[in-house]
Amino acid sequence: MKTTRFLTAGVALAATALLMAGCASGGSTTSGGAQTDSGGKITVWVDPPRVPAAEAFKEAYPDIDIDIVQIDGTVGGQTVRQSFANFDSAGKGWPDAIFFPSNDDIAWATNSTSNYAADLTELMSDTIEGYDPAVISFCDIDGKIRCLRNDAAPDVFWYNKAFFDEKGYTVPTTWEEYGDLAVKIAQENPGKISGFLGDAYAINRYLQAAGCPTNDRVSESEAHIDLSADGCVKATKLLDTMQAGGALSTQGIFDGDAAEAGANLVMSPGAVWWGNYLFRDTWKIPAGQMTAAAPLKWEGDSKASTGNEGGGLWGVSSHITGKQLENTLTFAKFVATDPRWQVDLSTGLPGYGPVQEDWLAKIADDKYFADIPTTQAAFKSALGDVQPYSYMLYDTGSVWTQTVPSTLIGGGSATDAIKAFGDELVNQAKSVGYTIVTE
Amino acid sequence: MTNHVLEDRASATTTATSSDTKGGGPAARRRRSWLRRDETLGAWVLLAPYTILFLVAAAIPIGYAFAISLQKAPTLVNPNSGFGGLDSFATVVGDYRFWSTFINIFTLMAIWLPIMIVGIVALALLIHASPGRFGGAMRFVYYIPGALGGIANFVLWVYLIDPVNSPIAFLWQGMGASTYKEVITPGNMPFILTAMLFFQGIGTWIVVVNGGLNGISDEVLEAARIDGANAWQLAWHVKLPLIRPWVGYAALMNLAYGFQLFLEPYLLRQISSGSVVAEWAPTQLGYAFAFTNRNFPAAAALSIILLLITLGIGMIIVTRSGLFGDEARTRPTRAQRKERRTA
Repeated sequence: MKTTRFLTAGVALAATALLMAGCASGGSTTSGGAQTDSGGKITVWVDPPRVPAAEAFKEAYPDIDIDIVQIDGTVGGQTVRQSFANFDSAGKGWPDAIFFPSNDDIAWATNSTSNYAADLTELMSDTIEGYDPAVISFCDIDGKIRCLRNDAAPDVFWYNKAFFDEKGYTVPTTWEEYGDLAVKIAQENPGKISGFLGDAYAINRYLQAAGCPTNDRVSESEAHIDLSADGCVKATKLLDTMQAGGALSTQGIFDGDAAEAGANLVMSPGAVWWGNYLFRDTWKIPAGQMTAAAPLKWEGDSKASTGNEGGGLWGVSSHITGKQLENTLTFAKFVATDPRWQVDLSTGLPGYGPVQEDWLAKIADDKYFADIPTTQAAFKSALGDVQPYSYMLYDTGSVWTQTVPSTLIGGGSATDAIKAFGDELVNQAKSVGYTIVTE
Repeated sequence: MTNHVLEDRASATTTATSSDTKGGGPAARRRRSWLRRDETLGAWVLLAPYTILFLVAAAIPIGYAFAISLQKAPTLVNPNSGFGGLDSFATVVGDYRFWSTFINIFTLMAIWLPIMIVGIVALALLIHASPGRFGGAMRFVYYIPGALGGIANFVLWVYLIDPVNSPIAFLWQGMGASTYKEVITPGNMPFILTAMLFFQGIGTWIVVVNGGLNGISDEVLEAARIDGANAWQLAWHVKLPLIRPWVGYAALMNLAYGFQLFLEPYLLRQISSGSVVAEWAPTQLGYAFAFTNRNFPAAAALSIILLLITLGIGMIIVTRSGLFGDEARTRPTRAQRKERRTA
């Protein structure tokens, strides 16, 4: 009796569901629809460090009605992605401009299933001309510029000049020298470390710098991943040497409890923004110690080769038109190029060329770095040494953080850890829908 | 409301009268049928708030999820969706993370559930055996961690597992851990979650099981005492068999809760700066399907799979635990069987 009743209920539920499936299947989830115009009011989404940028805009353009929304800025966080998946399904609700919390976000924002980010190639051609092609290349998706870079974030070679002078070490110029010196320093000065492996950007610091194809976009549906390529082997060998020599931390630069390890960091490749953001503001390393040198070379190469850690991206909605679009473009131009934000307030080297010199000049006034002219020169020269890297629908950084540190903490070698990373990366790429090519 | 009832009564009387003129039944039957109608109406009125909530918060979302799960996910090649049959279920079960998420949950359950059930029963029996102010005070003390609730309990644990500042930091340091990443490893996850879930749930469940213990009639306990049972025998041979339905209920509800874990592993991942896999629990895999893969049908399919599991557990609670049925359908306890035989 009871079973029959349950069965009846089940059948009724299934029938309703089938009916609803029939109704729902008529629609398509791709976001098309007409572009709308609010008449001028704009809504912008910014992560906490970019709130001052939006506030500066509000002050500079009091006539433009703007709604500033602060979003979760976690690199690799999922909340913004979640909101956009819902907006795309609903066909409304998008912000007019956004600072993407992770650079990987540009992959879904330009994918055909979302198509949120507007093509700026024509809309902002004069602004785009002000960028070094190497800097704006991260926004180039199939020949169209789909975002603007907030800051350029090439990796330079950071070292503690005070420590090096005191101990008489020579600053390395090749990756191989860096590995050997790291082991030597760890032996002679227990506790001193020469790198972090536990954060999402470690992949850029080491694998991207070696030209290892983890993020190589072949087409919208094809990814080139090959952890057996020369670059990957080279980087793995380097990390193995340093890890076995006790020169690396399994923590990441963003870990809340990394300040102690941070104070013991004597050298490492790292982004331009490490200087102010990590060393000065987060880890509180005293002035006159840290300084930057030009990126390292691999032995046998004539040119330095380095990674890029972030350097945020601004996107504009493709769903708006008229006055609303005009005001949004004014906003995008302001936050990407205006010295009132880029020079006066931003902690990173501006991506937009014409304001870079003024920002570099400010470093001299701050008097934080040990060797200011070398640091300034390193920041500029690193821009051209960044190796290619595409942002993909799979989150390479998250795959790294959930495989590498846990393997190392569990007693595995760097080789084991990178093997685990590579396997998981391929799995995840396939799961998102990519076809993997290895050549 | 009253008007409504009055109107209904009036109409009930008219129908009763009309049937009266036809059949001419006795007045008693008329009264009974009127009563039954009134009862039915009352039942519907009382059920309405629940029915509406059930429809809005359960039936409609479930139906919608099922409908979505039968669709085809738009892909890069073919952005159109349509009817996809059971494809999404195949996608979910075939995903490389599907089984590992369930292995994670089962590992956790294997450690947590026995500790939880033994803990609940032992503490509830202890409290019940210590009457008066002490028992009451202990009941309150045990309830405190449960009263902290989800987020507060979680924040407390974030502090407790901190290998530098925690009052139990010596424990972590003894294990060779000095950073969050070294405490929150894949191997430690089931133990950390066990501790969190145990302290979060134990207080509430002690109160529930204690309620069962209070339901045991004094005569039974007194009879056992007169027969010479000591406190231990009383608890083991008399109280425990009588509260078995409550213990079963606790076990199954906790089991069902385990399948729905999301918040704890999600936040532990943030605390460890991403060193815990993003898809540790099945619900997290569903989240990834929806928002990383943009595959809503697969996310819906996984929800349906989880629903079937928890619904199955729910059915066992309803039909087997003896908590909901009427006397006849519950399995009689040994004492009751004996009683019946002698009668």
